[in-house]
Amino acid sequence: MSKIIEAEGLTKVFPPSTKAVDGISFSVDEGEIFGFLGPNGAGKTTTMRILSTLSSITAGTATVAGHDVRSSPGAVRQSIGVVPQEITLDSELKGMENLMLSAKLQHVPKQEALQRAKELLQLVELDGASDRRVRTYSGGMKRRLQLITALVHRPQVLFLDEPTSGLDVQTRTRIWEYLKQLNREGLTVFMTTHYLEEADQLSHRVAIMDHGAIKVSGTPSELKDRLHGDVLTLEFVDGAGDLTALLEKIENVAEVVRKGEEYRLKLPKVETAMPGILSAVTAGGLKIKQMSLTKPTMDQVFLEVTGRSMRDAEEPQANGSGSYGALYAEAKTR
Amino acid sequence: MISESLTIGGRAVTKWLRNPFAVVAALIQATFWLVLFGNSFNPANAFASSPLGGGSLGFFQQAFGGAPNYITFLTPGVIAIVSLTTMSFMGVDTVLDRMSGYLDMLSTYPIPRTSIYFGAILQNVAKAMATAMVTFLLAFFVPNGLRLAPGFNAIDLVGVLTTFALLSLVFSALFSGIAISVKSTDSFFAVVNFLALPIWFISTALFPISFFPGWMKPFAQANPISLASEATRLLIVKGSLTGVQASSVTGDIVGLLLYGVVFGALGILMARNALKAR
Repeated sequence: MSKIIEAEGLTKVFPPSTKAVDGISFSVDEGEIFGFLGPNGAGKTTTMRILSTLSSITAGTATVAGHDVRSSPGAVRQSIGVVPQEITLDSELKGMENLMLSAKLQHVPKQEALQRAKELLQLVELDGASDRRVRTYSGGMKRRLQLITALVHRPQVLFLDEPTSGLDVQTRTRIWEYLKQLNREGLTVFMTTHYLEEADQLSHRVAIMDHGAIKVSGTPSELKDRLHGDVLTLEFVDGAGDLTALLEKIENVAEVVRKGEEYRLKLPKVETAMPGILSAVTAGGLKIKQMSLTKPTMDQVFLEVTGRSMRDAEEPQANGSGSYGALYAEAKTR
Repeated sequence: MISESLTIGGRAVTKWLRNPFAVVAALIQATFWLVLFGNSFNPANAFASSPLGGGSLGFFQQAFGGAPNYITFLTPGVIAIVSLTTMSFMGVDTVLDRMSGYLDMLSTYPIPRTSIYFGAILQNVAKAMATAMVTFLLAFFVPNGLRLAPGFNAIDLVGVLTTFALLSLVFSALFSGIAISVKSTDSFFAVVNFLALPIWFISTALFPISFFPGWMKPFAQANPISLASEATRLLIVKGSLTGVQASSVTGDIVGLLLYGVVFGALGILMARNALKAR
């Protein structure tokens, strides 16, 4: 597969000495959804601004669609579509007018633009609202229109800066669906996000960025595999005493952390560990009050590579990752 | 370049027309100037009722370039002032476009970045011209309103419109350059306030050059508002100009053109600097 974005030692220093991007190297394959994950201020947006020719490079090189960002920004601009974090639509213009304005500035012939605009409006389910002024749109509708204004000229690469931040869950899921559909049609997507779930669900590959550097990159499942397994939380009825030693002896249990009557077991392979655990519990005559199994999440990956949880995660993550994080935090302090 | 500038400018004009508040506000301002200021300040009354004026219009007309009444003298000045304030208000749209990220987004399109500046100029000139023409028509209908010279002809009308267009171009080139460069509406208003009042006061928009003390005269005469006001006044008060009058108007128009070129060049530099990747 050919590489459509390549960055080598990319560095951005804002005067006097703020190093926003610190010598990062990465590449994005054609047809891929590539997620840049990290907290606010990690350098994701700056990287994207450099790739979309809005920011200059302090050191290093970057190419987009085969064109050097620094020496041929004009050629880069012809190959990309950009969806910024903020809404930049014209609220006094109608939905269709916004699309046609964008098409005109991208030099798309009118008939072709109309055709493409209709397709895109259908894709994001705005075909019924294209004759209304954007002023009357809901937040989610604006975001969907903003997305497709970057696509009327059929760019090779779409840059998305925090595509769903501040949106409700339904709208977010719908935007993911649209992006998956567009990607199936061949669009390469470079996306920044600070939603772990978004990076996980949508990206073929993820790079985790923190303090201007890429800490780790790979497919979401590769990254989760780094954590070596799932976590089983067991809570026993009071008065069982310290069971840590007992649990540690069970085959295929990698690690045990006790917190009161609650034990967290790290299991590289759940399937092989469970029988052992159950028979040990039965043999010991122990009574389980509660038990739950947690699959690895991007949240934990993030915690593992950066040493802290997402500073500004706007939503509690599903499936009990909060307690999972605590396990790692505790494990680290021991 | 031209088509992109027109597209960007056209978008803003459409926006302006759809939000008629801004149009109405500009016209209300012009009406207040003509009706309220034109009648209250009216020096023709002052002269006529003082011993100096001897109870006739003669003295007023002598001082005010032969105008039949004060509002006829004032109309070109009001159009120039409204053009100045319209420009400064409209510049805010550009500042807001920058703050909202719109200019950034335009900068990711494969278009020359100076077309963003020219787009801003075009829209402002269009807006100012629309306001100027309505103000001009309005001036006929206010009490003691505008009275054109009997000899006023089509060529004179073209001269008047050209002058208005050039004046709005001058201000637009200046304020669009500033608007594209500043980062907030606050700093834009600070600059506008700093520039607009002197430009206005040291001009012959409201009263003739003979009212100014010697040290102010050269500034007042070189002021683009004065150039536009003087040219328009000659055209509407005299009509069918003589050779001398025509060359005076031509001189004013050339002066406005020069301002336009200088401010335009300055604005291009400012826009390039403001929109370059950094």
